[in-house]
Amino acid sequence: MSDPQIQVCHLNKQFGDKIILRDVNLKVMPGESHIIVGLSGTGKSVLLKCILGLLQADSGQILVDGEDWSCLSEREKLKRMRGIGMVFQGSALFDSLPVWENVAFVLLRQGMQKKEAREHAEEVLEKVGLPHVCDKMPAELSGGMAKRVGLARAICHRPRIIFYDEPLSGLDPVMSDVITRLMRQLHEEMQVTSLTIAHNMKLVRDFGDHVSMLYQGRIHLQTPASQLDLQDDPIFRQFVEGRASGPLDINHLTAQGSQI
Amino acid sequence: MITWLEAIGMRVERVCLLAGIYPMLLLQVIQRLYRPPWFFSHILSQCEKVGVQSLPVVLLTAIFTGMVLALQSWVGFHRFGAESMVSTVVSLSMVRELGPVLVGLMVAGRVGASFAAELGTMRVSEQIDALWTLSTDPLRYLVMPRIIAVTLMMPLLVVLADAIGIFGGYLVSTIVLDQNPQVYIERATLFLELQDLYSGLLKALVFGGIIGLISCTEGFYCKGGAQGVGQATTRAVVLSAMSILIADYFLTVWIFQ
Repeated sequence: MSDPQIQVCHLNKQFGDKIILRDVNLKVMPGESHIIVGLSGTGKSVLLKCILGLLQADSGQILVDGEDWSCLSEREKLKRMRGIGMVFQGSALFDSLPVWENVAFVLLRQGMQKKEAREHAEEVLEKVGLPHVCDKMPAELSGGMAKRVGLARAICHRPRIIFYDEPLSGLDPVMSDVITRLMRQLHEEMQVTSLTIAHNMKLVRDFGDHVSMLYQGRIHLQTPASQLDLQDDPIFRQFVEGRASGPLDINHLTAQGSQI
Repeated sequence: MITWLEAIGMRVERVCLLAGIYPMLLLQVIQRLYRPPWFFSHILSQCEKVGVQSLPVVLLTAIFTGMVLALQSWVGFHRFGAESMVSTVVSLSMVRELGPVLVGLMVAGRVGASFAAELGTMRVSEQIDALWTLSTDPLRYLVMPRIIAVTLMMPLLVVLADAIGIFGGYLVSTIVLDQNPQVYIERATLFLELQDLYSGLLKALVFGGIIGLISCTEGFYCKGGAQGVGQATTRAVVLSAMSILIADYFLTVWIFQ
């Protein structure tokens, strides 16, 4: 069995006196699509940001390809980012740049000629079904289009790992399905490792190979996506079935979430 | 008892933390100055935004300040028959004091607000995080070019403002107050020393650094949504303006010595 591509060991993070992550352990195998689910405010995005180095964890290790990222300097982390793609919840496209420059951002930064970078961007935009938006500005795009451009930007430099932070939030069911299919297709074509933060159980079933549930700052349960419905943990079942009543401590989570 | 002591302690801690982020950001920017990439195209485009686009407001402020200064000083000097000294007062005041301070305040309002709002919006919409994930150092890409641009452009704007302010005084003196143009020009330059110009330019350089540092820090570490951006923008302008006036006093004291 190969080594995990991403490994989180005993990760802890708190803001003030609010404990967000407590002793989180997680393994993501190469080529796997791993999805982290959990209620709002459980620390899913904080976990993702800690892995990416956008937030400094209080303690614990983050290993990517066997290398401890928590010990790297900022400069070294930035270099490692060349192998990473990230799709943000709100797309996070750069307002001041046209779509193609957003998509080819890393290529242009690496010194590629504008013409060549544009051709690459056009190719990738065609892959995500948006061949005619190259010269548009991000403000001219709909939510679904912006998400797809965000996806194009994340894959344009051929990363080994792609992180998705709630990629379907704010999208209608049809557009959600389009994006999910696209993610699956790109995942298979590019043979990347994916780590996704999600609420949407349809995305979990269609895109996930492995699922972890984060609850009260800890990984509460891990399961292969194919065995989702076989789990009898009452907290997990309540989340999967989307019921308001049950053992999930909703008030505590909401209060904690609002603090973050 | 303990509760209000705790509250005071927390306030003090918060103020110290907030005050600490300015030198921290400055240090990080200075560390980055020594290593490429420097993003020259970004520095140039920011220079254009700070320098060229601020010209109308800066020049308009300067010309009217020079005109008012000429009128006001004429009123005073007329009382003891020293009207010919109007141009000396206008040129010395503009070059040593009013040029750098007024340009600083105008640039703090126009450019400082824009820096804080731009960076704040980028922070709350995760664009700064996106830069990091795209293997780009946000401090180097966003903050450094802005601080360099405003620090370099301020002295240039001040030189132009000084010239236009003195010209404003010339217009009022010759057209409204019917003074001899030749006398105005002679007296304007007679008592003006190179050191006066240097002191004004030094002030401009320092004020530029203050505006860049405060507004970029406020925007870069902005928290919250639209309200957070609004607060960061307001703080950037108010703190920059106050810091310019405080720094002006200490620089003047230092230059006098």
